Amino acid sequence: MELWLLSNRLLILRDYIVSAASQINAGGGSNGFNPTNLGLTDFSLVATTLDTNNAYKFMSGIEGMDRFGTGPIRSSYFMLASTELQSDFDALVGQGVLNNWNYPSNASALPSEWGSVYNLRILTSSEAPVARNAATNNLGVLNDVYYNTVLGKQALTHISQDGYSMNLIYRDPYYSGMLAQNATLAVKFAQSQALTQDTAIRNLLSTRLSNLGV
Amino acid sequence: MAEYSKLARGSFTSNGFAKIINLPFVPDYVEFFNFTVVNSAATSQNVAYGKWQYPMAQGTAIQQGYNATPTLIYDTVASGGISTFSAGQLLQYGPTLQIVSISKASAAVVTTSTNHGFASGDVVLMNGLYQSTTTGMPQIAGIPFTVTVTGLTTFTIPWNTNQSNYTALAGSPAGATLKKILYPYLYFPGSTVISAITAPNGTTIPTGTVQVDTASAHNFVVGQEVAFRIPSLYGSVELNSLPNIPTPGSPIYGYVDQVTDYNTVIVRTPFAAAFTAFNSNQTVSSVPGLSFPQIVAMGDVNTGGVQISGGSPLYPSPYSVAIGDGNAATNGVLTNRINTVNGPAIQGAYVNNTSQGFIIGAGAGTVLTTSDLVGVANDLIYWRALSHDMGLPL
Repeated sequence: MELWLLSNRLLILRDYIVSAASQINAGGGSNGFNPTNLGLTDFSLVATTLDTNNAYKFMSGIEGMDRFGTGPIRSSYFMLASTELQSDFDALVGQGVLNNWNYPSNASALPSEWGSVYNLRILTSSEAPVARNAATNNLGVLNDVYYNTVLGKQALTHISQDGYSMNLIYRDPYYSGMLAQNATLAVKFAQSQALTQDTAIRNLLSTRLSNLGV
Repeated sequence: MAEYSKLARGSFTSNGFAKIINLPFVPDYVEFFNFTVVNSAATSQNVAYGKWQYPMAQGTAIQQGYNATPTLIYDTVASGGISTFSAGQLLQYGPTLQIVSISKASAAVVTTSTNHGFASGDVVLMNGLYQSTTTGMPQIAGIPFTVTVTGLTTFTIPWNTNQSNYTALAGSPAGATLKKILYPYLYFPGSTVISAITAPNGTTIPTGTVQVDTASAHNFVVGQEVAFRIPSLYGSVELNSLPNIPTPGSPIYGYVDQVTDYNTVIVRTPFAAAFTAFNSNQTVSSVPGLSFPQIVAMGDVNTGGVQISGGSPLYPSPYSVAIGDGNAATNGVLTNRINTVNGPAIQGAYVNNTSQGFIIGAGAGTVLTTSDLVGVANDLIYWRALSHDMGLPL
């Protein structure tokens, strides 16, 4: 989960979640699209939904400390979001959204963790699912739709397939071509992913408020 | 320079319709011989050989066939030729088309400004759908719909727009567009938007069940465990798996009792006897933030199974049903079933349907205007496909 969506295997898991998990359209934003951009009430609503569904949180809270600019962090679910939404999160800083550098201690912050809001800790990736130009407002303006996956601990699992042991494969350059230019180093293993509890996962769909950086 | 080239060969017996060949790669060169044609007397319009190579346009081909003389000639295929595909990721779309109008009807009729090129069973996503800033049909924008094609620029969608809060779209409103979802069923069964829920009537909808209609194919099988996620605006919240009023925190699931067709199922649920009527007549003003009602396959217990009997195959490869009922037609052939590339599995288990490869179409030539690229039924086709290390220009 730390550096989520780095491999093809996780891209498969990403699309699998987009297909399988139920969806909530963000409505707490102000941009007039459906779904709207993310508003504070959306974070609260989706966390409440998972709480009501008895989902387990991933992370315990971080107690407040006497340090300038920091605030306590609640026990949290993970929200997996696109890096393209980070400027939207920045716009909500000071309204309950904290960047991970404003944690009392960011020792438990994951490398891809952007920050925290209410009972969610937000991980971002450039490979998060996004449907380009999939929303149009009443003025005919287009916006992208982001699939922000919010999940509890028991929502997903992966299963290592027994009887198909992991192989580390190395072929030296001699075997990979006459010019001996390229070696091959690979790991071969068999896994499958499964949604173990649909009530503990939601796709929070949103559009974007800010312009997309280039 | 052949370190990373990929080559594949194979054969199939044509049925006269476009043939999908799944491969572990996407080829940039495809060629084939129709062995039956080359092994027979020369006959006008018969195609002996076909070829496609990147960067030729998708769906085109070069073919070699017999003219009226009959002499073997070269010809081109402008559409219905050879194309490649990579169904590996969701959220891939076809070109954006302008919507001219959407009628107030059930099923609603959608008209596009140019030929849409869809086939019944394709899935589209519509955008905008405002007639003015406060009227139109934005309530259904963002819902994946299965289309039933009625003309070159028209098709219907399974939704009742003949309701008070919907205003017919006309005159190509700005921003009213649609696009085809190229691979809507890469993973199924999943989460599907509900278009209608009907209470039991004691006959077609037995006591203890509800009829659920969906906007696109559900791909459920009998026995599938399902959950409802219905926002309160749509009514019928009693069917939701959570919150469970008597026992908070304990999800309540239903299961599929009957599969009527691609977008209709009968679901057995403890709350069938009394629930608030389903209401898809949402207001335009509710649209920013409007969530859609969904029926969801439960990920942990997909108990749908194929009954083992003398006439049914044991654990067949999983299939999807994009349109129609997928059952046997009068000639005993199972209709509308789209088999996946997966091996034998329990029906109803969650299916990963990703695939890649190429398609040999059934298009006609530019000169040989009644030819059929993929041949006719029972023609034996030998094919070869390659993915090259290098191409110039790249």
